[in-house]
Amino acid sequence: MATAQPRFDDILRASSRDALQDALWRSTTPLTLPQAEQVRAHALTIGPGPQPLRLGVVHTYTSELLEPWIAFQAACEGFELQAYHAPYGLAMNEAQPGSKLVAFKPDISLLMLRREDLHPDLLASIVNLGAERLAALREQSLARLREIVGAFRAHPVGQIVITLLPSPLPATLGQYDLQSGTSEAQWWLRLKTKFTCWLREHCPASTFIDLDEIAARIGQQAFFDPRYWYSARYPFSAPAAAEFARRIAVVGVLLKQPRAKVLVLDADNTLWGGIVGEDGFDGIAIGPDYPGNAYLDFQRRLLDFQQRGIVLAMCSKNNLADVDQVLNDHTHQLLRDGHFAARRVNWIPKAENLRSLAEELNLGLDSFIVVDDSDHECAAVRHALPQVQVVQVPSRAVDVPGCLDRVARLEVLSLTKEDLAKTEMYAQERQRRQIMEAGEQRGSGDYLSRLQMKMRIGVDPLPHLARLSQLTKKTNQFNLTTRRYDEQQVRGFMDDANTLVLDFSLADTFGDSGIVGLAIWRQQGTRAELDTFLMSCRVIGRLAETAFLEAGLRLLAARHVTELVADFLPTAKNDLVREFLPQHRFTLGADGRYQRRLADEPPAPADRFPIEVVLDAPAPPAPTAPGALGS
Amino acid sequence: MSLFERLQPTIANTLKVPTAQVTPTTRDEDLPAWDSLGQVNLIVALEQTFGIYIEVEDFEKLKSVPAILDYLAAQNVA
Repeated sequence: MATAQPRFDDILRASSRDALQDALWRSTTPLTLPQAEQVRAHALTIGPGPQPLRLGVVHTYTSELLEPWIAFQAACEGFELQAYHAPYGLAMNEAQPGSKLVAFKPDISLLMLRREDLHPDLLASIVNLGAERLAALREQSLARLREIVGAFRAHPVGQIVITLLPSPLPATLGQYDLQSGTSEAQWWLRLKTKFTCWLREHCPASTFIDLDEIAARIGQQAFFDPRYWYSARYPFSAPAAAEFARRIAVVGVLLKQPRAKVLVLDADNTLWGGIVGEDGFDGIAIGPDYPGNAYLDFQRRLLDFQQRGIVLAMCSKNNLADVDQVLNDHTHQLLRDGHFAARRVNWIPKAENLRSLAEELNLGLDSFIVVDDSDHECAAVRHALPQVQVVQVPSRAVDVPGCLDRVARLEVLSLTKEDLAKTEMYAQERQRRQIMEAGEQRGSGDYLSRLQMKMRIGVDPLPHLARLSQLTKKTNQFNLTTRRYDEQQVRGFMDDANTLVLDFSLADTFGDSGIVGLAIWRQQGTRAELDTFLMSCRVIGRLAETAFLEAGLRLLAARHVTELVADFLPTAKNDLVREFLPQHRFTLGADGRYQRRLADEPPAPADRFPIEVVLDAPAPPAPTAPGALGS
Repeated sequence: MSLFERLQPTIANTLKVPTAQVTPTTRDEDLPAWDSLGQVNLIVALEQTFGIYIEVEDFEKLKSVPAILDYLAAQNVA
């Protein structure tokens, strides 16, 4: 287990970035600036070599003194900081083509604004303005903020990070502020809420870092250093600077490093205190009393990460029955079997289990974050799988609940509907697998019909453009030709009367898959060529690919097609579909292409499959002059 | 370790200059990095390295190695 308090020298001896971050987090005394400099220099020597992180700063108060802290935090995350500070002041001339900021090609443009930059009236107290004027002032301030951010967003300045410096003074009415009915804190909160709503909906690649939240976390008085503020226009104390800088490094990580998708959790001394195999079901610490309450909070935190689109998995050296008993029967356990997308509870080396988890979940190992208390297991995984991030669970229970909060890759810059549904989809997939395995054990083949599957096929489905382009770009395994298309190209196929774009989604008793398959047929008279046929691996093993193909063929037959031509273009990743065409009654011709004559091998009827097929739109009329474009 | 030997790397690290460029007689105008921003950075570094609190009135006085050494001695920094 990780020892409680590392010495500064230990931090400088860390041989991996994970270990460095672990050591920094466990050190309870904040680093001094000279120490931060030393750690930065050391971090940059740890392999793999640091990536550059280019930061442009537009600032209406002193920003340069923040730079050493940003350079330090960036180095700890594997970046070498390169910074450009615009001239002091609201440098709107940087928001134009050819400006120094644009020429600098920043990854991130940080706007460090003061409240009064939004409106001169904000220099003085606003409590006596009256409701109408206060509302007008907010609208004017919002408009100004949108104007500033919009001006920068119109140029290639990277991710825009906006900050508003809190006032160093307490509210006009002091502790009566909130009760007064004209609360300044409330006024600002509503402004920030409206502004961030605008960012979310109308301003891509922009992030608001709330300095009020950081100030609340550090403490308002500890956040400001009035000596620097009044003598040098630099507001931040060392702890405030370190935390602000960390948030900026987080944005860098989210922009430039592989996205984290899975938290792989150990069980003993991670999800609960103690070792279930030794201390027994009743001996482990999880529940309302210390130290079990700390582990309970950690479990709550893990469920929070699920809300950010992170999937939970388990990898534990244990007897399966012991762990199952805790997950199923322990009264205080928050995490149950259904919360995990996949589990490996056995005595196989963890690196091996992680590889098989990656295969099962169909995700790259570089999207894994492994959480384990054991020195040995952490070191072994770091050694065997350097692309996996490893977080060591602290030895003291009180440190456990917060131990993932410092992990930059667990933050998000945005959330989509797909992210939120992800855990649910994996959980559905696990339930399907369990039914299937149970069916196999009983030797009954009725598993698929029990799913009550319904396939919805879209014909030239314009609203799915973005998803279909994404599918051509992301699908590597179940993909006959691996042709990548952008949205414009997919749209071109849909608009072309001689090209048929089909997609499908699959619903069953457990849920809806969303759009998971695509076929593009190019018709030339009575002949149709299969340009693209792909499917997300999420729905493999349910006959969906066959039902989808044959449904497409019925549509083509209605359009007078008699001859089919298709190709299998092998890549390093699509071996899965090597036999797909022969299995579907295509024969390899002398020209090396697969063919199927519908006269000899007609499309299978829909009732051949345990899937109800629904056409989402009527098929477009067949090309008016069959044969006119024939080869 | 003498006070100067502790001060020297503090100044050098903070202003990002080679240690040898910081001598017992160095003052702000000798080092381009020791400008008004460098000065505030140095104040932060001095406070944290030597565990002292520097009053804002003293910020302007600490613009040379001899001045800082005198100040540290007066603060009973050993």
